[in-house]
Amino acid sequence: MSAVAAQATLRWSPTRIATAVALGLWAAMFWVLFATGRTYLYLSTRTSWLVPVGAIIFTAGALGRLATARTERHEPVDRHNAWGLGLMALPVVLVMALPPATLGAYTVQKRATFAGSAIGATARDVTGPLDFVDIGAAQSFPAAMDQLRARAGETITLEGFVTKEASAPPDEILLTRYIVTCCVADATIAQVRVVGLPPGDYTNDEWLQVTGNVYPVGREVLVAASGATQIPVPDQPYLTP
Amino acid sequence: MALRTRTQEPPAPTPTGAPDRTWLWVLLGLLAVALAARVLDPMGIPWLRSLLIVFGSLLIEAMPFVAIGAAVSAAIEVFVPASSFAKIATLPKAAQIPAAAIAGMAFPVCECGSVPVARRLARKGLSPAAAVTFMLAAPIVNPVVIASTYVAYRGRDTQMLMVGGRFLLGLIVAMCVGWVVGAIAPGDLLRGAATQAEEEEGPAETRAHRFFSHLSGDLLFMSRFLILGALIAATIQTFVPATVANSLASLPVLSLLAMMFLAFILSLCSESDAFVAASFTAFGPSAQLAFLVFGPMVDTKLAALYVGTYSRRFFWTVLIVVTTATLVGCLWIEVIWG
Repeated sequence: MSAVAAQATLRWSPTRIATAVALGLWAAMFWVLFATGRTYLYLSTRTSWLVPVGAIIFTAGALGRLATARTERHEPVDRHNAWGLGLMALPVVLVMALPPATLGAYTVQKRATFAGSAIGATARDVTGPLDFVDIGAAQSFPAAMDQLRARAGETITLEGFVTKEASAPPDEILLTRYIVTCCVADATIAQVRVVGLPPGDYTNDEWLQVTGNVYPVGREVLVAASGATQIPVPDQPYLTP
Repeated sequence: MALRTRTQEPPAPTPTGAPDRTWLWVLLGLLAVALAARVLDPMGIPWLRSLLIVFGSLLIEAMPFVAIGAAVSAAIEVFVPASSFAKIATLPKAAQIPAAAIAGMAFPVCECGSVPVARRLARKGLSPAAAVTFMLAAPIVNPVVIASTYVAYRGRDTQMLMVGGRFLLGLIVAMCVGWVVGAIAPGDLLRGAATQAEEEEGPAETRAHRFFSHLSGDLLFMSRFLILGALIAATIQTFVPATVANSLASLPVLSLLAMMFLAFILSLCSESDAFVAASFTAFGPSAQLAFLVFGPMVDTKLAALYVGTYSRRFFWTVLIVVTTATLVGCLWIEVIWG
């Protein structure tokens, strides 16, 4: 009889329901990132497993909070909790509402001193098909640069975004690609100077596929372009070393 | 020295007068943010785009680690009897801190995940000094971080120095903080007021009920501070001048402090920071080591977590001891290795 009476006094706690909603928003965001492939706008392929893990744990947390949301106590959503829950929901709102985007030319200037002088990648053998990670490795390690020099003149195809220099002639750009180890916060850059481009109005952040012959010059890598095509932003805009 | 923990969700006030409608304004604010994000095209502004992407990426990477930490924390609370930690507490005090540091090897998550676990360990009866030592050592000495450091420096003469130096110096600095905390803090300072989840507990509640209650409570509590820290870190990453550190690279002591400062503002995950540290080729190995030891213990997002979870005085204690111990350790390495 007493158990029945206790059961009858239980009521839904607004605070606990609001907490469950906030956790549920995070879970939903992780599921959406996982389902749509937008994970790679924020994480590398090495850490993409975190998204489904986050989705599962936040889902469990939300459901668990909801399952324990009936109580005898009076628990309105007070001012402190309202602001706290709002703060927690804010990143989810931003990530879900903003259009997909990647780091661009603006950040290249900021990263150059932090991490852009070399990518700090592993000491790769620059012997296979050349890509931006090889370029970065060559700019970081003398042995890799020696291997790249031995392949001077080879044809290379690179995809990256345009970074313009104010003083550069119209047929010359820097083609850049970010290399991300865990998340975009640790992004470093690999960059080649593309010369001899077909006439055109190349603008910052425009993605290009450039084909040409590669020539290491000092610490810089030049590509004498034989063709350039505008391309959409790749599904995985950041490379993983 | 106040190493108290704070309540996760403060007890709701007794109803008085008109109901609080703050939640409604918060909801409207979030809707306004969503609308602005769609209509005003903030991604068209380069600096704002950089800030928002870095902010999002820091959280999308760190939150699952916090979630893992919260799950482990809840499991410790519910499934591990307090008597287990009472046995550890019977160990000689001189052995507790080194044992806690070594135990960090068994917890392969980054720094955000170790905070809720350490907090829970202290609440379950582990000495505050040992819990703090574990919290600081785990993000550096776990196998994943050792492996990533090994890979980042592969092919370089300094590889073993960086891997071994990071491991040993990480252990030593974490133990230094533990000893200081143990010396100046009363033993029960990490066992603060009960959380709401703990207040909710009754004898009839199942373990599953308690587990999910603690999981959601820890997630909510930690997330707020992590979000603030990530926002500060993203802002600094966006605006700090690119020339801030390079001019100091050749100066003996200042180069170490500069790298520690960079580690603080960049707030990188300990599993990836070695790749970034290795790219600072203008700096010597001891300065890079300072970056690798200091960053996982004190950075912008961790500062927000420490202040929120423990207290400002705890944060300042950790900051001062970690800075001093890292600086002294790296200077010795510079003297020995050149």
